[in-house]
Amino acid sequence: MAVTTQARRGSPLDVLRRFAQRLPVHVALIFFALLWSIPTIALLLSSFREPGDVVTSGWWNAITHPLDLSLSNYEDVLNTRDMDRAFINSLIITVPSTFFVVLVAAFAAYAFAWMQFPGRNALFIVMVGLLVVPLQMTLIPVLRLYTDLTIDVDMPILGGRVFGTNSYIGIWMAHAAYGLPFAIYLLRNFFGSLPRDILESAYIDGASDAGIFFRLIIPLSMPAIAALTIFQFLWVWNDLLVSLILLGDPELAPMTLKVSSLVSSFGTQYQLLTAAAFISMALPLVIFFALQRYFVQGILAGSVKG
Amino acid sequence: MAEVRFENVTKDFGGERPAVKDFDLQIADKEFLVLVGPSGCGKSTTLRMLAGLEEITSGRIYIGDRLVNDVAAKDRDIAMVFQSYALYPHMSVFDNMAFGLKLRKVKKDEIRNRVEVAARTLGIEELLKRKPRALSGGQRQRVALGRAIVRSPAVFLFDEPLSNLDAKLRVQTRAEISKLHLRLGTTFVYVTHDQVEAMTMATRIVVMKDGLIQQVGTPSELYDYPTNMFVAGFIGSPSMNFFEGTVMKDDGGLFLDLPGFQLPLPPERAPDIEARAGKPIVAGVRPENIHAREYTPPGTRTAEFESEVEVAELLGNETIAHLSIGEETFLARLDPRVQARPGEKLPLAIDIERVQIFDRESEERLGEAKPTTKPA
Repeated sequence: MAVTTQARRGSPLDVLRRFAQRLPVHVALIFFALLWSIPTIALLLSSFREPGDVVTSGWWNAITHPLDLSLSNYEDVLNTRDMDRAFINSLIITVPSTFFVVLVAAFAAYAFAWMQFPGRNALFIVMVGLLVVPLQMTLIPVLRLYTDLTIDVDMPILGGRVFGTNSYIGIWMAHAAYGLPFAIYLLRNFFGSLPRDILESAYIDGASDAGIFFRLIIPLSMPAIAALTIFQFLWVWNDLLVSLILLGDPELAPMTLKVSSLVSSFGTQYQLLTAAAFISMALPLVIFFALQRYFVQGILAGSVKG
Repeated sequence: MAEVRFENVTKDFGGERPAVKDFDLQIADKEFLVLVGPSGCGKSTTLRMLAGLEEITSGRIYIGDRLVNDVAAKDRDIAMVFQSYALYPHMSVFDNMAFGLKLRKVKKDEIRNRVEVAARTLGIEELLKRKPRALSGGQRQRVALGRAIVRSPAVFLFDEPLSNLDAKLRVQTRAEISKLHLRLGTTFVYVTHDQVEAMTMATRIVVMKDGLIQQVGTPSELYDYPTNMFVAGFIGSPSMNFFEGTVMKDDGGLFLDLPGFQLPLPPERAPDIEARAGKPIVAGVRPENIHAREYTPPGTRTAEFESEVEVAELLGNETIAHLSIGEETFLARLDPRVQARPGEKLPLAIDIERVQIFDRESEERLGEAKPTTKPA
């Protein structure tokens, strides 16, 4: 054991040589990482600066005068510009839109991957074909459909109508419909790559389709489901277009709409825009860091063969 | 515990020919039946139809007295061990083994008890808390066996369970599966492409080719009395040598005229073969029935000839010689003391009592089904 450890680590000279060999790569990586982070860092620092400083000096001056930073911009944005309400609205829109897509796509993908039914392949091809339809093309038909199907009754608690434009259910359904083709495609391919033997073994062990789905497919597909959740969450969270068309009411508007209206009404007040932008970035960052471990987890290692 | 019955079972995937055709077989209770054949012969499809993983195109399958054509896999009271082990990767060994019992709503204490007994039987008690990825191939195979055992099914199905193990482990696991069969006293149906596995474990073997049963019999029946050239060539390693020739008759009796040498037949073979005089046949000789002349076992009736050595592989306990006579090449399993050098002529002796004779056209073995040669 001692010998192998020694051999693997090598002498101090070897360690030094290896470090020297990798140094250029590391320096380059750090350089590019910093370069790519500069806009975000600038945004973050500006959001903490006084209004006067923002317009008179560059954001890098904040580094030399750290005591000048304050949370006043955030207070302003959240309290007087209704950004707090917009944050809640974004959550109300995004969480169900993501949840529905992942749930429905997982059921559909299981059926497409593992169940036999007539027309399965044709249906799947149509599904995949929908991927090429540009979202913009659908806006007018969808809007007309929503107008025709409007249920003009107040939605309790959440606000807005039950269905139609200015309705949370309406926008959930729109986001779900836009997200589903890609979601089903992604999950079907992942489910299809799961070893057939495992599912057959469970089937012989006595599991029903539902049992196989919840006890095997879902736990084994967590990397794909996590990836899809992040995609869909970010897509809906960052969406401006669909909200702009279907949610005109400022009371129901998500943060993207609010930030865009801040741009038009406070075009010169950068300190407020930066704070608002950073609030809208915060949650996606949390989601990403919470789920990113699934990307690297090789959960399937060891299931079949050796 | 149950017998299994196939009645004219056919499976057609819509290809050129059915994957399995008119499969008719009765498997007795507690039997260890091995389905063997080259890849694509329909053996796995047959097993999967029995398991309920594949629909039957026509025919009937019974487990015990129950017709199971339309019974779901989970209700057939079977357990299956897969080539890939098919362990659930996110569950511990214990949960893998308990999965089927949990789904059947067995009480917790009972599950624990049965898993522990099975784990002890297989020597995997220490592994119960581990995940499959932390196990070696052999250990995974044991867990897969354990998962089948805890359910105490009426029939165990094995689909090439040893193919992913290394050679040494395969020999060891082979013996363990045989022991398990004796201990459990349950019907085993085992699919393999490896005739050695079939010969060593089976109480009966079914040899399949192109979806058809070629022969059903005990290992020694298949070895000594193959019904046709396919079975003769498939069973035994190295496989049987075939020489094309003609049956001839002269004053001395019957003999086979083969390229490069002649093979007199013992008089007791005459009734089977006489009518074939002048007709083309194929003579089948197993490598171990060709001896170096100086080491021929005493009392063996032989025909003598010489042949040129191409290659000789000394294995310690025997020498596998690749020999040629005219255009024909063949193998002989010789005494290791023989000095067989490439290019040299080697004096040989064929045990004429153990020569098999096949019709060249139908490839069927000539002679009665009952022994015409000495049993091994």
